[in-house]
Amino acid sequence: MFGPRIVGDNGIELRPPTLEDYKLFTDWQMRPEVTRFWGPRFTTDTVATAEERLKRHLESNDSVSWSIAYGGETVGFTGIFDISWTDRDGETGIFIGRHDLYGKGIASEAVRLRMAFIWNELGLHRTHNWIALANEGSWRANQKSGYSQIGTYPRSWFRSGEWFDEWLGEAFPNTFPAGKLPSPWRDEGHPK
Amino acid sequence: MALGGIVIGKRTTLRTPTEDDLPSYSRWMADMRVRRAAGVWHQPAMPATWKERLKEQAKEQRAVLWSIETEGRLIGLVRARLGSLEGPPAAHLQHFIVDPDQWRKGYGLDAALALHRYFFDYLDLKRSGFELRADNVAALRIAERLGYTEFGRGHQVHYRDGAYVDEVWLVMQREAWDERWAEKEREYLPLGKAPR
Ligand SMILES: CC(C)(COP(=O)(O)OP(=O)(O)OC[C@H]1O[C@@H](n2cnc3c(N)ncnc32)[C@H](O)[C@@H]1OP(=O)(O)O)[C@@H](O)C(=O)NCCC(=O)NCCS
Ligand SMILES: CC(C)(COP(=O)(O)OP(=O)(O)OC[C@H]1O[C@@H](n2cnc3c(N)ncnc32)[C@H](O)[C@@H]1OP(=O)(O)O)[C@@H](O)C(=O)NCCC(=O)NCCS
Repeated sequence: MFGPRIVGDNGIELRPPTLEDYKLFTDWQMRPEVTRFWGPRFTTDTVATAEERLKRHLESNDSVSWSIAYGGETVGFTGIFDISWTDRDGETGIFIGRHDLYGKGIASEAVRLRMAFIWNELGLHRTHNWIALANEGSWRANQKSGYSQIGTYPRSWFRSGEWFDEWLGEAFPNTFPAGKLPSPWRDEGHPK
Repeated sequence: MALGGIVIGKRTTLRTPTEDDLPSYSRWMADMRVRRAAGVWHQPAMPATWKERLKEQAKEQRAVLWSIETEGRLIGLVRARLGSLEGPPAAHLQHFIVDPDQWRKGYGLDAALALHRYFFDYLDLKRSGFELRADNVAALRIAERLGYTEFGRGHQVHYRDGAYVDEVWLVMQREAWDERWAEKEREYLPLGKAPR
């Protein structure tokens, strides 16, 4: 499914992806700045297959996908995938395609909104992810919303002359920082 | 790839799965002892569905399935993903099941050793990994005997039997194989030493 609109701080929001957003992804995933710690930089995705991918994600019953918008413009994606409704566990991911906007807190805010939705609306009990240990921006953004490291996978992959270890993380509802709950869940008069 | 060929252990043999194996597969997947210990390779189903699954497995590009037998009797199955894009060539063990009526007779360890000989001695892989429920004593014991080490632990990952159980992540590096097994576990005699 696609996730609903969740409005955060500093002009950052999550919103249901559009076909135009999917077309942007095709281009972003081919860029060296974006694939420093993520992806092989080749793909079978084309602009022509964007609609197919969109439909697949839209109809999937084990994932929730969002576009991340900054100042009204789509700049990336986040979501939760491979949800096991029995284990109440799923894998989260984030991808910002606009590398000119790195380091502005967009990922941190998107992760906060995403985790609040997961804990308050999906009834999950745990989430997990694997991130290149060198991709500090990614695991830091997750850590700030309750992720902690539960292991290190040694020499996971090789890039540009160096081995990369991976940071294994997990989060639970009670590790989400209480003071950071976004709207609408923190709003006065919210039924909670 | 897809369906595995013959790999001979001391007491067990890995061999190509056939349609005749499918009723036993279905029975194991329906067995609560198996389900408590690990995830299943497909849910129990009608015979026609199992035949479809085997056909699909034969088309799989990256995962290989074997049946395990002893003295000509089917006693288990194993499925592993092979290969790696950015990392070194590796195996990832996905399913490794011995018929619960045959547990604790040493078949599991024997079949696992033969499989890892295939990974390291024959395919020249650099490592093998898998994840286990933290209370799976038998599989942990086999992993430890082979040379796996833990590199991560997820808390309360799987729900079964009314409670959550942790998951441990294990990896066995090529160096561990070389150190522990390479000398005694070779599939073929060294060239020049084989009888003509
Ligand atoms: C990794 C990524 C999500 C980070 O997004 P971002 O919007 O730049 O992250 P933020 O600005 O919210 O930064 C998060 C935290 O990491 C820190 N950080 C960001 N970039 C960093 C870097 N290159 N080195 C060290 N720390 C960094 C920030 O300072 C911040 O921590 P702080 O609040 O304690 O100061 C983004 O670069 C991206 O999508 N890259 C491409 C795809 C990818 O790698 N996805 C993740 C796959 S697991
Ligand atoms: C894991 C499994 C394949 C092991 O098969 P098996 O034929 O019973 O294994 P073995 O008889 O070779 O025993 C392996 C070791 O575990 C020990 N062991 C087995 N069951 C045990 C138990 N219940 N308690 C304590 N030790 C046990 C054995 O003593 C042996 O150790 P040892 O050689 O030091 O004596 C089997 O239990 C199984 O099919 N489980 C369900 C599926 C599964 O969990 N797969 C693994 C995850 S993919």
